[in-house]
Amino acid sequence: MSLKYIDEYRDSDLAKMLVKKIQSVNCKDLRLMEVCGTHTMSIFKHGIRTILPKEITLLSGPGCPVCVTAQKDVDAFVEFARQNNVILTTFGDLIKVPGSGSSLAKEKAEGADVRIVYSVFDAVDIAKQNPDKEVVFCAVGFETTIPTLAATILSAREDGVKNFTIYSANKLTPPALAALMETKGVQIDGFILPGHVSVITGTNAYRGTFEKYNIPSVITGFEPIDILKAILILVQQNATGLPALVNAYPRAVSENGNLKAKTIMNQVFKLCDASWRGIGQIPTSGMELKKEFAAFDAAKKFNMDMPEVSEPAGCACGEILMGLKTPKACKLYKKKCTPMTPVGPCMVSSEGSCAAFYRYS
Amino acid sequence: MTNDKILLDHGSGGKISHSMFSELILPVFNNPELAKQDDGAILMLGEEKLAFSTDSYVVDPIFFPGGNIGDLAINGTINDIAMCGATPRFISVGLIIEEGLPLADFKTILETMAKAARKAGVKIVTGDTKVVPRGKADKIFINTSGIGVIAPGVNVSGSNARPGDKIIVSGTIADHGIAVLGTREGLKFDSDIKTDSAPLNKMVQSIIDSSCGIHVLRDPTRGGLGTTLNEIAIQSNVGINILESSLPIRGAVRGTCELLGFDPLYIANEGKLIAFVPEKDAQDVLEIIRQDEFGKDAVILGEVTNKDPGRVFLKTLIGGSRIVDMLTGEQLPRIC
Ligand code: SF4
Repeated sequence: MSLKYIDEYRDSDLAKMLVKKIQSVNCKDLRLMEVCGTHTMSIFKHGIRTILPKEITLLSGPGCPVCVTAQKDVDAFVEFARQNNVILTTFGDLIKVPGSGSSLAKEKAEGADVRIVYSVFDAVDIAKQNPDKEVVFCAVGFETTIPTLAATILSAREDGVKNFTIYSANKLTPPALAALMETKGVQIDGFILPGHVSVITGTNAYRGTFEKYNIPSVITGFEPIDILKAILILVQQNATGLPALVNAYPRAVSENGNLKAKTIMNQVFKLCDASWRGIGQIPTSGMELKKEFAAFDAAKKFNMDMPEVSEPAGCACGEILMGLKTPKACKLYKKKCTPMTPVGPCMVSSEGSCAAFYRYS
Repeated sequence: MTNDKILLDHGSGGKISHSMFSELILPVFNNPELAKQDDGAILMLGEEKLAFSTDSYVVDPIFFPGGNIGDLAINGTINDIAMCGATPRFISVGLIIEEGLPLADFKTILETMAKAARKAGVKIVTGDTKVVPRGKADKIFINTSGIGVIAPGVNVSGSNARPGDKIIVSGTIADHGIAVLGTREGLKFDSDIKTDSAPLNKMVQSIIDSSCGIHVLRDPTRGGLGTTLNEIAIQSNVGINILESSLPIRGAVRGTCELLGFDPLYIANEGKLIAFVPEKDAQDVLEIIRQDEFGKDAVILGEVTNKDPGRVFLKTLIGGSRIVDMLTGEQLPRIC
């Protein structure tokens, strides 16, 4: 696990040169959206906002999986945790997200068996070790994690694991961008698109949205140099008035993406409508298990159908995810809402915009 | 605190632990010694100035690369006493054992404790054992307390940092937390990441014996370097600037942190100290620390300012800047 190569993407001279170039492009006020939470975190962690010209505003987009998870799905997780005989497995970020009445952390303190896993494979292992229990996995993710999930389900089926199910709140990135562009009041001059999602989807997945809305779009990686390069390209495209869809992460992303991963994903899952926090239902923006994998569907097995509920009063996560507001414009920010007492998921998730503002600025 | 139950976060060593201490614990036990919130209490007994400290260890797993819960418990209390500028002398040990713990494991842990105490030159002089039914504890929990003597004229405290001070860290950060996590989660490292658990009393003694000034000593354990720097910034009411380019982190530790989304600034250390020293003595203290067997990788990490009291800033590799806050959630439970 040695990742020495990283330093060349954090080189301070190169960074300075890129910032100079960005400054030298004559541009009006620009609103650029980093779609993905991993980008948001990297931007804050490396202090990128502090070295950019003030004309450039970076907005966080709908690409933090925990943040976009609808309130009713969080309630469903809590409900699963409350069931007798269930071991609920989840990535750590979801633990503290407040549902309508409780959170997984609170249920855990009450005695529910909630376990943090680092990979869905661990959840299957837990199921194998506890044959008399039902193991439910909270599947909250994008194109980056769905193929692994699909592969896990295939192997669980092969191994005859009968006590493992997932609750799928999985989502896809491109439909969210289109929905965003259709929303009144949204004003974005360029997209910084997530490298890791694109490794799977390929550049072409964004072509439809790009052609329809003609908005400068750059796919890039998560190191500071990658991000600065993307910003430079977006600034240049705005200055010349020539939008393009650019792959600035060719060391990992191809035109068509990872075909094998996509095949596995489509073998197990099919498109469905999905609810997004703050945005609402977006057609064909989710992925549900196909009929032949219904045995792995926790919602079906437990007859779980939570009602749509409203999001916490005063929480602006939805508007923040659409670039309509910044966390500091939320009335609850740093007052009622802190990482210790989170009101919305954007303050909990390690990729959440409110958490990033709170922690780093 | 709006929760009506204790959550794991309350034990994180970060912000919630601090508010638990100041809102729930301190008001009940209130006294000036406790209120100082240093690593140990500093007490006058007649003419003698003593440091007294206690700590409990619940690490999971109890054996991990480079050590086990036994030496961790001894070194931890030795270090807490040393960070008061004291020479640790006597230690007590309380053992809470789960029914069913293999005797061989128990013996190994005791032997490791004895060895750690010998190495540091302290004596284990009293103790207690309790056994609880299976499932009521997890294998073994250890409490250690210790007493040390502070030489006349020595005055180190988290509230003594002054603008202009240089900040030294005695070596690489985040080794312990990642070593324990890696074992617990069955991660396979291709290099050997080990705990840094070590006694720092000799290093501290050498600094104190020199003619150099020393304002603050702390060991950044649970909550990590980031949280400890914040504690000092608040206690001393000063600002702190550190440089990302100076942060000593092993490549494999950093890689693992990146992979799992952890910030090494918040990962526990068990054999590192940070020292705040007047600028004129900084190079000398750095050399003294580097002479010690546990201080070879020491560096100057940053400095104290009079701007933004109570806050810690990091200058990033690419020349940006960001705030380093206290740990605000449970990054890793049961790490020590
Ligand atoms: S600060 Fe809290 S309440 Fe406001 S938008 Fe963010 S998460 Fe929601």
